[in-house]
Amino acid sequence: MNTTGTDADAVWRALASIPDPEFGINIVDLGLIYSVACTDENIHVVMTLTTPACPSGAWIHEGAQAALRRLPGVGDVRVDLVFDPAWNTEMLSANARRQLGWTGATRP
Amino acid sequence: MPAPSSLITPGSLSWNASSRTFPPSAAVPAPATRLSTSWLAEQGRLPLVFMGLGLTWLVIATATIVLDPRLLALPHSAREVIALTHAWVLGFFVTVATGAVYQLAPVALGTTLWSERAGWWHCGLHATGVPLMVHAFARWDLVLLGAGGTLVGTGIVLFAVNAWCTIHRSGKRDAVAWSLALAAGWLVVTALAGLTLVANHLRGFWLADPLALLRAHAHLGLAGFFVTLLQGVTFRLVPMFTLGDVPDWRPVRAGLWCSQIGLLGLVPSLAWHRGHAAAAFGLLLLVGMLASGWALLQTLARRKKRHLDPGVRAFLRGAAGLLAAAGLGLLLVWPTTSWGSEPGGFSAMVYAVILLGAGLLPAIAGMMCKIVPFLTWLRAYGPKIGRGPTPSAAALTHPCLQTWAFAIQGVAVAALATGAWRLSAPWLEAGAWLLAAGVGLFLADMIGVLHHLWRPSGETPGGAGQKTPP
Repeated sequence: MNTTGTDADAVWRALASIPDPEFGINIVDLGLIYSVACTDENIHVVMTLTTPACPSGAWIHEGAQAALRRLPGVGDVRVDLVFDPAWNTEMLSANARRQLGWTGATRP
Repeated sequence: MPAPSSLITPGSLSWNASSRTFPPSAAVPAPATRLSTSWLAEQGRLPLVFMGLGLTWLVIATATIVLDPRLLALPHSAREVIALTHAWVLGFFVTVATGAVYQLAPVALGTTLWSERAGWWHCGLHATGVPLMVHAFARWDLVLLGAGGTLVGTGIVLFAVNAWCTIHRSGKRDAVAWSLALAAGWLVVTALAGLTLVANHLRGFWLADPLALLRAHAHLGLAGFFVTLLQGVTFRLVPMFTLGDVPDWRPVRAGLWCSQIGLLGLVPSLAWHRGHAAAAFGLLLLVGMLASGWALLQTLARRKKRHLDPGVRAFLRGAAGLLAAAGLGLLLVWPTTSWGSEPGGFSAMVYAVILLGAGLLPAIAGMMCKIVPFLTWLRAYGPKIGRGPTPSAAALTHPCLQTWAFAIQGVAVAALATGAWRLSAPWLEAGAWLLAAGVGLFLADMIGVLHHLWRPSGETPGGAGQKTPP
């Protein structure tokens, strides 16, 4: 049992280990993770996909759950997939924009 | 659910550039429906089989040219040339394009395929019927041709019904949905027209110039299926691969309208030797393609991924090649020009080489450079995601091989077109060997990608998936 609760940084790092297959950019930098909530050893993540019909979306969703379950001392893991608000390129991080070679304004 | 002790957003991490929450934590909507694991396991198998079949036909079609490059100096009505054309068009281009539709249509329409089983039946009928047809053309065995054509035609009808039902299920009625529906329809009409030509050869119920009917049949398939398909699907594919968007759908819709009206007039004009009408409707088709080209340039200008992969670059070169071929085709049907297709099909062969070699070959092969790695990734690495390091789909390919493959193929097509134009055996032989080299490099890359299905790598090339603190 994890008496100190789940480390939120570890959760973000686990999610950042999952790359999007098309661009090779991790799903955190891609802006697919909307929120992470940690309650003691339980984790609740809200995420999206670049498009509802993303062909690799189901694997990414499954993969996010698998990556979080591998964290030490984790209890219940819930990863909700939502499409409202819809993902858009403004959600890309500065790091993702650099990888894409996009010089547009970074998100605030 | 108990209140979270901490709500973390990307902005709260010291190494993340963001400070915004998407969406605000209080307004988290209901989760979307999850897909079953059995569906995940099956994902991508059908289109991958079509891709493998298409690659086999690419080898056969290229080998046929290498073994006898002088085929391209024959009239385009010669049975060997018709056999070669069907090996390329039905064997490679249609196989890959229909297989790609099974993958792309559900993605573009935001739904699932209406019937995977019908897709497998199509695959079996196509795999059996096309070799029979090509063999029958080479031997000029019209009964066998009719049998092979019936198998292929039945498969195409299944494909079209599957596409139409998938579109109907999606509820989408935009330009992409219309282009898919229309392209499937044109493919059915092409197959029926081909079977009618065979029946006419056997029974002679319609007294018409067989060469003119052959040209009409060819344009039904090439412009009707491929151009119509590309005029819609391009505007889902290119934004998806380049992280862009279509700024204005009006030129996309206008392009589709013009090309459809142009094609409706062009085909009967070709069949009945109506030169002025063929020129007018051919011009309308070209205008439609130019409108789509303009919309594509606008879409590319808004892309976020600035560097284009070799596959996307080849796809764009193919689109430009199709435009060039359409311009050349217009010259061929223009009534007052001396370029017209005189008996012997001299100019028509150059047109065909440019249309197929500089247009469809880079467009379809370029599309494969994106689809095959992605489908392979889905099957080889999808189940491993989150459980260990996984490469990106792009990391499965060798961009250098792809770049060289497309460059050599481009030179090969220029040599083959020159050889067909000048009826020069040395040019044709040089072009054939260059084509073999270009196709060989492309195949090497594709085999390298497909190899991951049997031996997935445990590496993460290029550190994909690792977060780099700013």
